[in-house]
Parts: sequence; structure tokens; C-alpha cells
Amino acid sequence: MEAILVDSVLGSLRHFLHRNAIFICERLCAEFPSETNLQLLASCYLHNNQAYAAYYILKGTQMAQSRYLFAISCFQMDLLTEAEAALCPVNEPGAEVSSKVYIPNGAAGHYLLGLIYRYTDRKKSAIHHFKQALSLDPLLWAAYEELCLLGAAEEATAVFGEAAALCIQKQHLHHGLASQNLQTSIEDRNLVSGRNLSSEDVSPRQLKHIHANNLREIPGNYHGAAMSGATASQSLNSGPSSTAFYHTPSPMVAQLSGVAPPPLCRNVQQNGLNPSTVGNDSSPRSTVNPTIQAPRRKFVDEGKLRKISGRLFSDSGPRRSTRLAGEAGANTNPSGTTVAGNGTIHSSKYLGGAKSSSAAFRSVTVRKGQTLANESFDEGTRQEVFDDSRSYISAATSTSTSTSGDPKSLEQDEATMTIGGVITNTSKIINGAAEVLNLLRTLGEGYRLSCMYRCQDALDVYMKLPHKHYNTGWVLSQIGKAYFELVDYLGADRAFSSARQASPYSLEGMDIYSTVLYHLREDMKLSYLAQELISTDRLAPQSWCAMGNCYSLQKDHETALKNFQRAVQLNSRFAYAHTLCGHEYVALEYFENGIKSYQSALRIDDRHYNSWYGLGMICLRQEKFEFAEHHFRMAFQINPRSSVILCYLGTALHALKRSGEALYMMEKAILADKKNPLPMYEKANILLGLDNFDEALEVLEELKEYAPRESSVYALMGKIYKRRNMYDKAMLHFGIALDLKPSAADVATIKAAIEKLHVPDEIEDNL
Amino acid sequence: MATESSEGEEEGKMIGGNQHLVVDEDLREMAKKAAWSVSSCKAGNGVLLLRDDNLDTYWQSDGAQPHLVNIQFLKKVKLQLVVIYVDFKLDESYTPSKISIRAGDGFHNLKEMKTVELVKPTGWVYISLSGNDPRETFVNTFMLQIAILSNHLNGRDTHVRQIKVYGPPPNPIPRQPFQFTSREFITYSSVR
Repeated sequence: MEAILVDSVLGSLRHFLHRNAIFICERLCAEFPSETNLQLLASCYLHNNQAYAAYYILKGTQMAQSRYLFAISCFQMDLLTEAEAALCPVNEPGAEVSSKVYIPNGAAGHYLLGLIYRYTDRKKSAIHHFKQALSLDPLLWAAYEELCLLGAAEEATAVFGEAAALCIQKQHLHHGLASQNLQTSIEDRNLVSGRNLSSEDVSPRQLKHIHANNLREIPGNYHGAAMSGATASQSLNSGPSSTAFYHTPSPMVAQLSGVAPPPLCRNVQQNGLNPSTVGNDSSPRSTVNPTIQAPRRKFVDEGKLRKISGRLFSDSGPRRSTRLAGEAGANTNPSGTTVAGNGTIHSSKYLGGAKSSSAAFRSVTVRKGQTLANESFDEGTRQEVFDDSRSYISAATSTSTSTSGDPKSLEQDEATMTIGGVITNTSKIINGAAEVLNLLRTLGEGYRLSCMYRCQDALDVYMKLPHKHYNTGWVLSQIGKAYFELVDYLGADRAFSSARQASPYSLEGMDIYSTVLYHLREDMKLSYLAQELISTDRLAPQSWCAMGNCYSLQKDHETALKNFQRAVQLNSRFAYAHTLCGHEYVALEYFENGIKSYQSALRIDDRHYNSWYGLGMICLRQEKFEFAEHHFRMAFQINPRSSVILCYLGTALHALKRSGEALYMMEKAILADKKNPLPMYEKANILLGLDNFDEALEVLEELKEYAPRESSVYALMGKIYKRRNMYDKAMLHFGIALDLKPSAADVATIKAAIEKLHVPDEIEDNL
Repeated sequence: MATESSEGEEEGKMIGGNQHLVVDEDLREMAKKAAWSVSSCKAGNGVLLLRDDNLDTYWQSDGAQPHLVNIQFLKKVKLQLVVIYVDFKLDESYTPSKISIRAGDGFHNLKEMKTVELVKPTGWVYISLSGNDPRETFVNTFMLQIAILSNHLNGRDTHVRQIKVYGPPPNPIPRQPFQFTSREFITYSSVR
């Protein structure tokens, strides 16, 4: 009976019938109370976005998978301390080997732990864990992304290099072997699983770990983890994986598919099998793949091992989902959604994530080809869900290894797996791994460079991508962001609109796009974008950011502020929403609130140089020049190439009377961006302050070429001529300045200056 | 500019009242952060009611004429327009009739800028502070004092329902002598 219930639950999950799954699972837990079944129930709740339910169910449990799911639910409920405690129990030492053991789900666990550390302000630990996660699973893109955001990422060639390739190959081969074992010798598996199954707690983890290794090799994508997860999740989760199944595989995938599916299949099976060790006599296999479609079912049937250790399934299930969700989410925001993706928030995340990165979501359907078991691994869904896939795969692998329980079913299924297939798989794995890593390397390097604001280099790197990858939403969004940082708003506009065409449902980077349109003053396009985003997803912070930018462009700062505050409420970890709130407060002259907003943004992400700039501007207005200089310098350290930041740093230095340094900064700013007229204007201002009239006039003459219709240039020139007592020229320039329609205040100033042309400067106070 | 019925010389202007407050886009309310005080008030009708954006509540003075509304700013500001809401139909003998606007650095050196005379006003009355000279578009001052010298029908105390003070918006880029007008300058002048 237990097997039937478990199967039904998994089937419901696969088909997204969450309420059904919850109901059946509750019956299952009532009838057969066991921690495994509890895990399954918790994962059902997590699928249904009820993290609190999973929290209560799993509170106090000790099994690795339970702790992992518990951590996911805590994370979703924002109880970071509990999540951390669940993932790293204090009584376990942090030795190398044991660290792999005690952090559930290997790479995924490390990634989740890293996120927790990041959000609780422990940057170093966070970086350490992300690196661990990457070393365990080189295809865990989300971890690499987080490292880039924290500014601590190594070069992509190092991370996605030889070691990673070996890792993947090993995993893959291991899978292959494992599958072979499954097929051929149950004993092996038994051994493996036996090892794993030595202890309840340990085995799932270990299995997962092993599986993780295997799975790692298999997924080619970056999103690799997603892939592994995908496969794993395939078995476990119906949802995303099913969809993933039908994506057209890329050639790489095709290659891998041959290789991957069998091992993955096996893993899945093994997962199923593991549970069996726990006591299911039904074929583990069956349990393994609720997500995998029919073929899997077939497999399951054949296996006759209906009972899949709920644990395994539930583990993989949520993991997969989370992974999938996570991936989707991962690409979108730095917010924790990605993390949540990891396990529980599968459905929610997944849906949410999907929006974020269309590009990211490249599921590769792994053709069954050589499916181990009768079932064909339909797809090696390669999703960008990194975490999940990894954990998933590990789970899958672990299950496979632990499939000692059901040699028969396995044999049946595995039988199809031939040694020959394995051999071909091996070479394919190597090729596949190389290709995946190649792709990941390019994308990773591009992302790292753009996080370090070396935007031109990032653009060059992205250009190296093959066409089909370049024309995806995620990549085009990144390119748009790079152009934005280079202050090339037209280029950014082009890139972002292509991104919208490529994936109109994706919200990743759309907040930046709205800012680009704000700068270009394209209010029609901006309001259209905002309306579209809101109708796509009313609960995404990016949509409200776009709406707010729209109002801000029309100078309705109070409504804009309301919209940005809504965005903050929807996702308080979305740093840019806080920054935009700050900008609006400053426009409304509520400086204290502005400072608070900027500081919240910096608490979330202290590499958000816009907030440092905002704080600097407030200090400049309040004439606190030392603070202004400090803030601009922090912004400068993060983004040393921005000519605007350099210019303001120079202005602050000039206000502090450090004119030499100020001039030096202005020179750098002028060099940084030829098209920026401001540094030259400021330079002239500084020179005027130093009474260096001739040089100032030279600079302004040059500036006239760049910006012939800027009235302040002529006004300043008039002022200088007046100081030099060259009244005709002064008159001429003041006249031109007035012709160019300056603001009302300036009109008054200039006219006053004209009247008092022959009066020495000392008497005036304004000009 | 705000709709005004007439613009006259320093003394003896007669101005009607508008129902709607219509102010130019490029004017900003300047007195949010200023210190407001009055020469006298009746309990329950204090100075807060002058700034509560509610046209039903009013400040009622309770002393000898002239009744004064003092506005002190944190720093020297440019002011261009004062708008007062008074209603003869509701307040009759409490409606101000002669108003004098003074500016200066403090109580000791206030100088009269403008005097207006109202005739049965009902609504917003716009009092511009600009002189004829383009140089004098703004009044640059630390303090503004609105003195109600006499009321309609020789009433002793006065009701004023709302007062707003407008000036030019500050330079969005601090520490700049002039504001930027061209696209290139504005685009590069800030980070969002």
C-alpha cells in the first residue's frame, strides 16, 4: 500500500496536482509514519508554496535530506538562523570529508549555506561555501553568479577548466558505471548502496553525493546543476522536468543525451532503489521518476519496485523543482528566490524563475536513446537551475547507488544499458563535458567582467558566443546591462529590446531597461514596457520599478516613490528597488529617508555603486564634503571606469579645496568617456576657482564643440570674460546663453550679470 | 505664471480669487521645512491649520492688528510667489483686506516688498513677489512676513485658510553655478 501511495504522490507532483499530492501524502504519513514519508509530505507542501507547513513537519528531524528541506523552508520563511543551524549542526566537525557529509546534498547544501551567509552579512563564509559548491559541482552556475556579485569570483577559465572537466567526467563515468552496475550487478550496487545505506542518515546523503558526482558529469549545461537536477527531478518531479523534456536539445545535449540519460536514469532509479533499501521492497526505480514521463513509468512498472523510498523521491523531487525554480530564479535576481529554488520552492520558483531568464532555461531533452532502463530519459533537461540539479543529481546518484534494494528491477531496466553504450557514453561524456564547460566559461567570464564593470571586455567576451546562445534573453539582457554601464543608452536599448523579443516573459534585467528608457526620456516606450511587465507579473519587483521610473520621468515623484516602495515590499532583497526609492526621496528632498533607503540597498549588496553615489550626492547637497568624498570614493572603487563617478569625486575634492587631486580626477574622467561633457565643464569650473582664466576658457571653447547648445557653457564663459574685463565677449556669451533658454533662475542670474557687467565682481554675491 | 487678475504697482491693487490652485510647473513649494509662527491665535485655530491642505480649517488671530504670519527658512531661499486662500462668503468680516508682504534676514530688518488690497476675495489669491526687472524675479531671503493690516468690514481678527509659498526649483546638481539644459549634459549628470 505504501508503494502505491508514494507512487500516486509522485505522480501527482509530476502533474502539478499539488493538493492531491498533499492529501494522499498525508494519508501515507498517517498510515506509514516514517521520516522518509515526512520528507515527501514536506516536499509536497514546498511545491505548493507552503513553506511554513514543511517547516513544522520537518522541525527537529535529523536526516540529511530532512535537514536540507527544513533549511529550504526556513530560508523561504526568512528564518535564516534556523536554516543555518539545520545545514550545519554544531556538533559536527568541519573536516574536509565530513563537510561533504554533514552538509546535506553536497553542492546544493553549500550553495544554500552560502546564500544564508551572504544575507546575514558574513561575506567570507559565503564566498567559501560558494566555492565549495562549485568545486563539488562545477556546473552550479548560481554559485558562480553569487561569487561574481560578491566580487570574489575567479576567472572563468579557472573555475570551468580542467578540474571541472575531470569532475564532470568522473561523475558521468561513475554514472555510467553505476548504471552498469545496476544493470549488471546488483551486488555492486548493493555494495555501493550498502555503503551508503549503512546509516539512515548517512546513506541518503552519501548517495546523493555520489550521485551528485555522477550527475555532475552528465549535465553539460552550465545550468548543469539544473540538468542533473532536471534528470533527477525528472524522476521526482513532474512539473518542470516534464516541460523540460520537450525542449529541443542542442547538439551538445544530443551528445550528452546519449550519455546522460542512461546514467541519470539509473540515478533516478537508484533513488528509487535507495528508498527501497530503507525498506521498500518495491522497485526503487518506480519511485524515482515521477517526473519522467511515461517511459519512466514503464520502467517503474517493470521494476516492480513500486515503493520508492519516499525520501529519495521527495528529495529529488523538491530538489529538482527547486533547482529548476532556482535556476530560473537564479538568473533573475540576486534575491533569495534562486536559492529557494533549491528545493522547496520548486513550483513557485520555477514559475517565477522562468520569467527571469528565458535564456537560462534551456532544457535539453535528453533523448532516451540508450536509456538504461526501459524508460528513456527523455531529456537531460538542462536548465539553469543549478543548485537543484546538483542536489538532485546527487540524490539521483545516491539513489542509484543505493539501489541495492532492487537488483531485479534494476537488472531488467539496466539490462538495456549495454556496456557498449557505456563506452560510447564515456567518450561522449568527455566531449560533452568539454563543450558544456566551454560554454560556461564564456558566459562565466562575461558575467564576471560585467560584475567588475569592465563592460567593454565583457561585451567582447559575449560576442564570442555562438549565435544561438547569444540570441537568448539572458545573454541579451547582460549585454544590455553592459551597455548601460558604459552609458551607451542607445546600444542598451537595442540589446534590451532584442531580449524582450527573444523572451517576452522574462523579467531579468527589465528594471535596468526601464532606467535606460528613463535616461533616454522615451516616455511612450517606458510606459508600454511598464504596462507589459505588470501584466506579465504583478508580483515581480522589476515591474513596479519600471512603473515607478515611468512616473518619475513625468516628475510625479510621490507616485514613483509609492511604486518603488511596492517593489521593495514584494522583494526586500532587491537592492535596486531600495536605491530607486532613495533617488525619489532625494527628489522630494526627504534626505533622511533617502539616506535610509540607500543604506538598506547597501546592506543587501554593498557593491551597488549607485547607492554609494546617492549617499555622496546627499552629502554634497548638505555640504558635508568629507563624507561626500568618502562615498564617491567607495563608488569609484567598485566601478573605476564610470566617468560620472570620477567627475563627482573630482567635484567633492574641489569642494574640499584639494584642487590638484580634483583636476587629476577630471582628467581621468575625460579620458574614461569622451562623450561625457561634464568633466570638461567641471574642469573649467575648477580652473576658474583657481583663477586660471585662460585655461578655463580653452577648455570651454573645446566644450563648445561637444555640446553647442548648452547654455551653461556660454554662461560660464561669459562669467569668465567678465572677470577678465573683456566685456564685449562677456556680453556676447551671455546673450547666447540666454538664447539657449536656460531655467528661470539662471535667466535671472544671467540678466543680473549683464546689468552689472561693468560692476566689479566683489559686489555681486550671486554670480 | 499663476492666473492673476491684475498686476499693479506697489500699492492699492485689487485682486479677486480663484477656486483652483494653478501654479506653474517649474515652481516648487518652498516652505515645507520652514518655521511658521503667528502673532496670535485662538485656541483650536492655530498656525498648523494654515498648512494642513484643508480649506475648511483656518487660522484665527486673537490680538491687535496687524496680524502677522512669520515664515523663517533654514537658509536663504529664492521666493517668487505667495498664494493665500481666503473666502469672503464664509468669513465675511474676518476676511483680510489689506496684506503687506515683507522680507529680510530676521525680525529686525524686514523690508516691505509688496502690498495688496483685496476686495471680497473667494478662493486662492496669487501674490507675486517679482519686480519688473528681470533681475528681480526672485526675492532672496531668510524670512518672509505676511502682515494682515486690515480686514473687510473693519473686522478685528482674521481668518486665513491656507498659505503656500513658491520659488524656483533648486539645481538638481548641487554645487553647479548654472543648470544644465542640453540632453548630453543632463544624461551624464547623474547616475540612476
